[in-house]
Amino acid sequence: MPRCVSLFMVLLAGGALAPVAQADDWPEWRGAGRRGVLAETGLVETFPAGGLPAAWRTAVHGGYAGPAVAGGRVFVTDARRPDPRSTAVVERALALDEETGAVLWTHEWETDYAGLQLVYAVGPRATPTVDSDRVYVLGAMGRLFALDAADGTVRWEKDFPADFGAAVPSWGMSGAPLVDGDRLICLVGGEPDAKMMAFDKRTGEEIWRALSSDWEPGYSQPVIIEAGGARQLIAWHPRDISALDPETGEVYWEIRHIVDMGINPATPVHSGRYLFFTSQYGGARMLLLDEDRPGAQVLWEGVGESDPEYGFDFNTLNSVISTPLIHGDHVYGVDGHGVLRALEAATGRRVWETEALIGESANWATAFFVRNGDRYFVNTDAGDLVIARFSPDGYDEVSRTRLIEPTHPYVRRRRSGPAVHWSHPAYANRHVVVRNDEEIVRLSLAQEE
Amino acid sequence: MEGRGPRWTLPGSGRRRRAAVTGLVLAALTGPVAAVSQPASNEGGSPRRVVVMSDLHLGEGRGADGAWSPYEDFRWPDDLRGFLAALADEGGPTDLVLNGDTFELLQASDGACRNDDPALGCSEAEALVRLERVLAAHEAEVAALAAFASAGGNRLVLVPGEHDAALLFPAVGRRAVTAFAAPPGRVSVAREGYWRSADGLIHAEHGHQIEHRADRFSGWPAPFTTGSGPRRLTRPWGQSVVQALYDRYEPRFPVVDNLADEGIGVREALAAAGVEDAGAAAPDLLRFLLFRMSWQQFRMDLDRGDVEPPVWDLARVRAAGPRFLVDSLPDDDRFKSLAERALDAGRLTALMEALGDDALTALCDHRAALRRARRRFERILTQHDPTGPPVAECPRTPETAAPRFEYFWGSRDRVFVRHLEQLADPRPAAFIHGHTHLADYRQGNFTRVEAGRTYVVDGFSPVRGAADPVVVNAGAWQRTATPRQLDDYRRRRGMSEAEVLESLRPEHLPPCYSFVQIDPYQDRPDPPVLRYWRQAADGTWATAPRCGRGIDDGASPP
Repeated sequence: MPRCVSLFMVLLAGGALAPVAQADDWPEWRGAGRRGVLAETGLVETFPAGGLPAAWRTAVHGGYAGPAVAGGRVFVTDARRPDPRSTAVVERALALDEETGAVLWTHEWETDYAGLQLVYAVGPRATPTVDSDRVYVLGAMGRLFALDAADGTVRWEKDFPADFGAAVPSWGMSGAPLVDGDRLICLVGGEPDAKMMAFDKRTGEEIWRALSSDWEPGYSQPVIIEAGGARQLIAWHPRDISALDPETGEVYWEIRHIVDMGINPATPVHSGRYLFFTSQYGGARMLLLDEDRPGAQVLWEGVGESDPEYGFDFNTLNSVISTPLIHGDHVYGVDGHGVLRALEAATGRRVWETEALIGESANWATAFFVRNGDRYFVNTDAGDLVIARFSPDGYDEVSRTRLIEPTHPYVRRRRSGPAVHWSHPAYANRHVVVRNDEEIVRLSLAQEE
Repeated sequence: MEGRGPRWTLPGSGRRRRAAVTGLVLAALTGPVAAVSQPASNEGGSPRRVVVMSDLHLGEGRGADGAWSPYEDFRWPDDLRGFLAALADEGGPTDLVLNGDTFELLQASDGACRNDDPALGCSEAEALVRLERVLAAHEAEVAALAAFASAGGNRLVLVPGEHDAALLFPAVGRRAVTAFAAPPGRVSVAREGYWRSADGLIHAEHGHQIEHRADRFSGWPAPFTTGSGPRRLTRPWGQSVVQALYDRYEPRFPVVDNLADEGIGVREALAAAGVEDAGAAAPDLLRFLLFRMSWQQFRMDLDRGDVEPPVWDLARVRAAGPRFLVDSLPDDDRFKSLAERALDAGRLTALMEALGDDALTALCDHRAALRRARRRFERILTQHDPTGPPVAECPRTPETAAPRFEYFWGSRDRVFVRHLEQLADPRPAAFIHGHTHLADYRQGNFTRVEAGRTYVVDGFSPVRGAADPVVVNAGAWQRTATPRQLDDYRRRRGMSEAEVLESLRPEHLPPCYSFVQIDPYQDRPDPPVLRYWRQAADGTWATAPRCGRGIDDGASPP
C-alpha cells in the first residue's frame, strides 16, 4: 500500500483527471497503512454540547464494513434482503460525494447468506480499499470486485468460493484487500494452499498463493510492517502468525498460535520491535521482532478463554473485535468483557483496568481506537465517540458525545440498549464518517475558528 | 404452555407433524408393566425434583490383598455421600434416577459368566452372584443411597444399562431393590428399560439402545436368550468386541475404562501397548470406533434452520471402497495405522459392503462435523480434540456444494428423532441419557430465546428451531478424563502414552461427577440443567456448572 497518499489521483465523475491533495483521506481499514493514526490538526479538543454537527446523512442498508474516504468520495458496502424470510441478499458497493452525501454510483450483486451465523448476517464486513482510480470491495460471501472509483465499472472480479474453493467462515469473509505495489493481497482461504493470495491489482491475474487452507482463514486484516530489514506481510490466521514476503508469498517465519473458533478479528498492532496480537479465545501474544532479519519470538503470552472450564484470565488482554493500541511502553485495549485494560508492553503485567470507557461489563464489547497526537478518538459499541488519553496512571476521558445509534444485532441485553455498533468509522478531512445499518453520516470534527 | 409444543421434523425428509403435548392423555406404555410406573396424568407439571445420575459402575471393589481391583471404577463413597447430603439439604421430594450402569455386572475378574459363546452373557443365577459381590463391595454407597431414598418423599429408580442389564432378570432386580432396605415403593427397577416422570414429560434411559450404538440389545427390555436351557443375557456385538480388550488391558492401564467418551479407551490402550496389527478383530474395532461418536458434542446452532444438510455423493463414496473407512479417521487417530494395515490385508472389504446408505451418510456427517471442528478449533464447543489435521469431507452432490448446505448433524438428529418417535406418548420435553460417559459440553455462551424466555442450552434439540425436546447427555457419575486431557497431562509431564496410562489411577482423575437436574415445574419442565458435583482446588465440595479441573490439579496427583 502506498504510504504516501499525497499523490493520490482519482478519475472524477466528469471524466477529467485531476490531482487532489489527499493527505487527510482514509483510504482503507484503519486509515493509510492500517495504523489507526489520524495526523490531522485543527480538530475539536472537546465535543460541543449539542453533539457533532452533521454535514449530511444518507440512507444505506445493513453492514459492518466501515467506510473509506478518498478523492472526495466516500466508499462503503451494504446489503439488503428483498425477502426478509430468505437468506438471499443483494450486496452493494456505493460511492458518495464526500461533501454532500449524494450517491454517485452503486454496484450490486446477489448472494446468499445461508451458512453464516445468521444473527450477524446483516451485511459485508470488509472496509473498501481505495487505490488510485480503483476501489476494491469484498462481500461477506467472498465476492471481490475491482471497481472503477469514478463510476463503479467492474474492472475485474473474483469469487473466492467458486474460483478458489474457499469455504466461507461462519462470520463471513472479513479481510479487507491490501494494496502493495502492483499487488492486491487478499485473505482468501482458497484451495490448495491459497489462504493468502496476491493478484495483479490491474488485471486480477494471480501472482502468488501461500499457506494451507486446511484451517479457516479467520477474520483478521493483513498488514505490512517493516522489521528486520525487510517488508513483512503479517497474516494472522487461527492456527499461526505467519510473516510472508509480500512480493512472493514466501514464508519468512511462523509462530503457532491457535485461536479457538477461528475468531481473530483484531488487527495485529506494530510498534518498534513489538508486534501484538489479541483474541478472546486465543489470548494475547506479544512478539519481539528480530532486528537483523525477518523473525520473531514470543515475548510473553496471556491465556485465552479457549476453555471456559478453566475460567477467565482477567490479567491479560483478550479482545474480541477491538484492535488495541501500543502507546509508549504500554498496551491498552478492551477485553472481551468490555473492560479497558493497560498492560506493560515488555512484560504483559497488568497495570490497571476500568469499565469507564464502555460503561459496563458486557460480553464481546468493542471499541475502536484512532490516535490523534497524544490523544485518541474512540468509538464505543454503545454508539459513543470519546476523546481520551491513556497512560500508565490511568484512563483520562476528555470528552464524550453521541456518534450514531447502534443498530447491529446483539444476542444479549446491554445496559446501553438492545443493539450495538460494531463498525469502524473513517476519519478524513476533519470529519468522522460512520455508518450503521440504516444510514451513513458525516460529522464535523473541525475546531471552530 | 401454549405455543411451545415441539414441531417434530425429520431432518431432510420435509415431513413435519405437530405433537400435541399439553393435554394429551398418557398412552399405554409399551412393554411389561413397570414396577416403576408413575401414576398416569393428564396434566403437565410436577412438584418433584428430578435428578439423574448415570454410569456409576459400582464394581467388585477390593481384592483379598486390600488393593482396588483394576476393574473397579467407583472408589469414592465419601464423594457420593456428600453429594446426596447436599441434595437432601436442598429439600423437596426428589426422584433420583440412576440411569443405567449403576452396577458393573458385565466385567468381573472371577470369570463366572464366561462361556463359549461370545454373544451370550450371564445367566440369572450368575448375575445374582455378581450383584451380591458388588453390593458387598459397596455397602457404604448402597447405605447412602438407601438413606436418601428413605428420607422425605424421595424415590430411587434403577434404570438398567448395558452393564447392568441383568437387573431385568426378576430375581436380580428384586435383590437390587431389597438391598436398599427402603420403605415400600421408594426403590424400584425400571423394568421397561427407561424411566418416565408422572406427566410423561421427562424421559430417562441409559442410551445404549439409541440407533447406531454398538451396545444395542435386540429384544430390549428383554435381552435374553429364548431357547432351551437357562436364560442368559445376550450380548450386543460391540460389547463382544471391546469388552475382552478392556479385560485384557485394564489391569495394566487402570484408567482406560474411565476415558470418555465410551469405548475410546480401547483405542488408547492399543496404542499405548504398541499393538501394530489388530488382526481379524480390526474390522469390528474400526466399525465400533467409527460409530461410537457422541455427535451431540458437536452441537451449536449457527442458524435458524436456513442451512440444509449437504447430500453426500454415496456412489462416489462406495467407489472409494474400504479406503473410505480408513479415510474417515483423521491422520492423528491412534487407530489409523491399524486400520491401514487391515486395509492392506483386505480385511475391510466386507465391512464396507455391509454398510447401508444411512451408515455411510452418518459417517460423512461425522467427517464434515469433525472437519469443521478442526478447521476452526472449536474447543469451546466440543470435548473432542479440535486440533490436528482435519479429515477430508465426503464428496457432495453438485447441487449441495454451496455454503447454504453446511448442516452436518442431519443424520444424528434423524437418529434421535426416530428414537423419540418410538417412545410412548406424550412426547417428552426432556430426554436424558448417559452411556458415553461424556457429558454434554455446557454451551453457556449460546442461549435460545423463545416465547420471551431465555434458555441456556445444555444438550440440544434434534428438532431444528424447536425449544424442545431437549436431549442431554448426563455423562458419568464417576471420575473420567477425555483423551485431550490425557494429552495435556502427558505433554506437561513429558511422559509417553504408555507411561501415562500405566501410572494413572482413577483416583487421580478430576474430582468431578456430572448429573442432570430438573426442578419442580407447573406446566412444562425447563430444559434440563447439567451440573457437576465438584471438589474445588481448596478441597471444598459444591455443585458447579463446570468441572474446571484437570488431571494433575486434583487433590491427589500421582
